[in-house]
Amino acid sequence: MTDTTAAPTLSTRTLAMSYGPRRVIDALDLDLPQGQVTAIVGPNGCGKSTLLSGLARLHKPDSGAVLLDGADVQGLPAKELARQLALLPQEATAPEGLTVTELIRFGRQPHQGWLRQWSAEDQAVVQYALEAAGLEELAERPLDALSGGQRQRAWIAMTIAQQTPLLLLDEPTSALDLGHQIEVFELVRKLAAEGRTVVMVLHDLASACRYADHLIAMNGGRIVAEGKPATVVTPALVKTLYQVECTLLTDPATGSPLIANVRRAATA
Amino acid sequence: MATKTTSAPGYLESFSPRQQRRMAERKAMPGLTPPGYWHLAWHSRGNPRSVLVERRAVAVNAALALAIAVVGVLYLSLGSVPVSPGEVIAALTGRGDMMTTFMVQELRLPRLAAACFTGAAFALAGVLMQTLARNRLATPGIIGIDNGATAFAVASILGMGFSIAPPAMALAGATTAAAITFGLSAGSGTQGYRFIVAGIGVGAVFGALTQFILARVPIDTANAAYPWTVGTLNARSGSAVWLLGMGLAVGLVLALVLARSLSLLRFKDAVACGLGVKVRACRLQVLALSVVLTGLAVAVAGPVGMVALIGPEIARSLSSARHVPVLAATLAGALVMLLADLAGRTLLAPIEIPVGIVTAVVGGPWLLWILMRPQRSRP
Repeated sequence: MTDTTAAPTLSTRTLAMSYGPRRVIDALDLDLPQGQVTAIVGPNGCGKSTLLSGLARLHKPDSGAVLLDGADVQGLPAKELARQLALLPQEATAPEGLTVTELIRFGRQPHQGWLRQWSAEDQAVVQYALEAAGLEELAERPLDALSGGQRQRAWIAMTIAQQTPLLLLDEPTSALDLGHQIEVFELVRKLAAEGRTVVMVLHDLASACRYADHLIAMNGGRIVAEGKPATVVTPALVKTLYQVECTLLTDPATGSPLIANVRRAATA
Repeated sequence: MATKTTSAPGYLESFSPRQQRRMAERKAMPGLTPPGYWHLAWHSRGNPRSVLVERRAVAVNAALALAIAVVGVLYLSLGSVPVSPGEVIAALTGRGDMMTTFMVQELRLPRLAAACFTGAAFALAGVLMQTLARNRLATPGIIGIDNGATAFAVASILGMGFSIAPPAMALAGATTAAAITFGLSAGSGTQGYRFIVAGIGVGAVFGALTQFILARVPIDTANAAYPWTVGTLNARSGSAVWLLGMGLAVGLVLALVLARSLSLLRFKDAVACGLGVKVRACRLQVLALSVVLTGLAVAVAGPVGMVALIGPEIARSLSSARHVPVLAATLAGALVMLLADLAGRTLLAPIEIPVGIVTAVVGGPWLLWILMRPQRSRP
């Protein structure tokens, strides 16, 4: 459903952003690989969520720019941006009683207007989003009646209905148990396989290693490492990020790095 | 994709018959309209146009309008001189006798208009403010805007050196109170308790200011202004009602234009923003609309703020969760105000209970019920 040939590029140039009065990101240059899953990891307060909010234009940068296909996102009309880039923030909540389909239909709003409220395309895309997220049977259920994983899939389905080539997810699995996490990550992989560029902020380095094509490790507002998880993740990097020692293994099934034997680093 | 729940035996039976019917509808006609809607599509200058009309919303609005019509006829027929509903309709269509026609058209109809307009304006302002604050308690009355408008209007009526018309003063008061409330809750935005607590404080100060003004004028003057401070349709001026009517017409159209964005303002800012809503601009428009409507309504009837709580609550309970029920809340507000004023005029006749007291008597327990009922998920 996504036109992959026209997938836009998302990048930042000398981006500086603050969270409240505190400068958290300074002079950040970043190019996100198209059609891949990028995970942004790092310790609490490293600026990863602030970076994501900057990429989604939720907050204005102090200086520098976020570029969508080379154009500063600050200059784009809100609806135009929402047709290019979908965002799922942390702990999104919905009005009481809203059903799964009703939520997903909101994803079509950037494509609609007062005299263009519903088209065959809207209907087809909503149906596609329901199917892609495996929610057909739950279509008429209120969101409050779903499990955490189902609810998160419904939110992702809303962003699918937005039909954007770019998808930004802020901690999409933070409140979910292991089974529900896998549901969400497998859906994310599927979306990337269809040609979308997905960027997720993740707390969990292990999941990032397993599900991301591209890893961006941040610390103190800077990128400290960037690349394929298998090449980038080293015991030294883990120590830099989280002040822990660990042993790295290779997952025999997937070839992705496994982090084992994690223990607190001896304080220097 | 794991669909573990879907294979459980008896899974389909766990849905209500309505849900099962909707699912069947969806399967039967993919590529058409979402279930529960009428889809109007046409072409204009080569562009496809389409409008979705929610069947439930049509039914709810029609039912509310019908209820207003019925209660309206009752409102015109009951009073010190009872007139039969048939005579009321005759008088309205110009076929009644002169005396009845005069009483219905000249005496009771203007008050009916004032009741409908104020109720509608308060409730519309209420549903806008609640959506903005994402809190069903955050009506203009509770966050001090009614009291601000009242204090300024009372000051102008009692001639505290001002000679500006009450609607203008009420607007100025509403704007001042809103500005102070927003100033005090700056940084935390319009969500959360800080905003509401600031508003309650501002409301208390303006309420005290009104009392202080009343205490400083001669007792007769204060007595004349008193019913107005509790909220009544007795003290209305014709020009204020007209101004409110026009403001309400414009405000309702603007609110309906904003309705699509309003639905998204109920979500987190990040969600609304991600779906292409200009959140800051939209909030400012919604706030301005709510404050102006409240100011105009207070200039007619005084602070009958409870309607702003009850009207939207009725509308929400009748409507689907998909939209902010802008029109239904407006109609429900008009209906509540009509009923309250009708009760106030007739229950203890010939003594008239100010409509503000009637709505407070009903609205107080209502508010308690909202606070104390079993907790469901967040509004």
